[in-house]
Amino acid sequence: MLADTTGSWTPVALSADLPAGTVNPARIATESIALWRSDSGRVAASADRCPHRGMRLSHGFVRGEAISCIYHGWSYAQAGNCLRIPAHPGLVPPETIRVVTHAVEEADGVIWVAFGTPASIPPKLDGFVPLRSLTILAMTAQIEAAAGAVANSEGLIESGTIRLLLSTQHEGETLVHVLVKDDADVATRITASRTAENLRRTAEDLQGKGSVQ
Amino acid sequence: MKLYDYILSPSGYKVRLMAALIGVKLELRPVDFHPGLEHRSPELLSLNPAGSIPILEDGDLILTESSAILVYLAAKAAPKWLAGEKPEEAARVQQWLSFSGRLTASLGAARLHEMLLRPGDIAALQAQGMAALRELEAGLVEQRLRGMRFLAADRPTVADIACFPYVALAPDGGVLLDAYPTIRLWSRALRSLDGFIEMPGIHRLHELKPEPQIEPGEA
Repeated sequence: MLADTTGSWTPVALSADLPAGTVNPARIATESIALWRSDSGRVAASADRCPHRGMRLSHGFVRGEAISCIYHGWSYAQAGNCLRIPAHPGLVPPETIRVVTHAVEEADGVIWVAFGTPASIPPKLDGFVPLRSLTILAMTAQIEAAAGAVANSEGLIESGTIRLLLSTQHEGETLVHVLVKDDADVATRITASRTAENLRRTAEDLQGKGSVQ
Repeated sequence: MKLYDYILSPSGYKVRLMAALIGVKLELRPVDFHPGLEHRSPELLSLNPAGSIPILEDGDLILTESSAILVYLAAKAAPKWLAGEKPEEAARVQQWLSFSGRLTASLGAARLHEMLLRPGDIAALQAQGMAALRELEAGLVEQRLRGMRFLAADRPTVADIACFPYVALAPDGGVLLDAYPTIRLWSRALRSLDGFIEMPGIHRLHELKPEPQIEPGEA
């Protein structure tokens, strides 16, 4: 993963993990975001901080096409503008009250978020579908060593029957989306999930030993 | 039925939640767990020599251990919350009931350390708690792949209620839940159930309640 992700896409979550009417915490390289899906199914990403009192918006809730802060109920549209301040029911919130938002793309069951305006569209998964996401307390190098393969320029590792889509979270922490062939049956998918758990153990052991630089 | 209970106890909440979900009325007898240590008083030790709460009294019957109390309430009032006839389902209910004890010993102990300053190796407890959460996440992922939303079946059972509270309160012990998307979905499914009740630190889903409408001038 490049240190400067301005203008490029980060795979932040799987579509199946963000049902309509919910909000999840997520990360793009340098900051926490609130990733939410409106009741009508539209995905949005904003800074994970309510401009009012700084509460994490990912602790909030989604009603209709807006996200609301859990603290005082200020609600925001997808574009980040404040729609409503419950303590001032007669007030139309001024345009200056907004939460920072980021570009979102959803493709092949993966939700991608970018800083700025990327020139390209997110990479295709080519016959693979997302299985699950898991967090590995290791860096890309340790995960590559555990997988026996190197990530390509899109952050994708091919390891046996599974593919791994990597997204660096903090120093020493990587979000990994596990992909399987789109025709894999249930038993194969369960095996793939366990394979990913084994890979995590190996990568974290390597990280602990510091044997891969 | 009388429940010896403490409002901040996740194990007491398991019983209150189960009772609320299946429509059983409980008489609550608050125990001064902190700071009074009433659970170690002669009166409570005579009910439960282990010195733990919750304790359920139903006539002559005295039950301890929250998992046993959950099974009792379900068997009495709502048997569909127990395992069905399938051997695999019966085993999974037992598996996760046993597992819930490890949540108490890890996430629960971390929470007592952080909230009530109980002694303990906090880093070790948090690491054990994270390991338990990873196991739960993996178990729920596999259930989801089998087409089931809950730990033992596609309907909630006593096993879900036994595991839910300590998981939901993990952040009280300094263990974050951000990294577990399937636990998040499972938690939402449980909090969406009819009759769900809250405890301090576990709130219900605000979006399921109608939006309060305040007229200008009313506020």
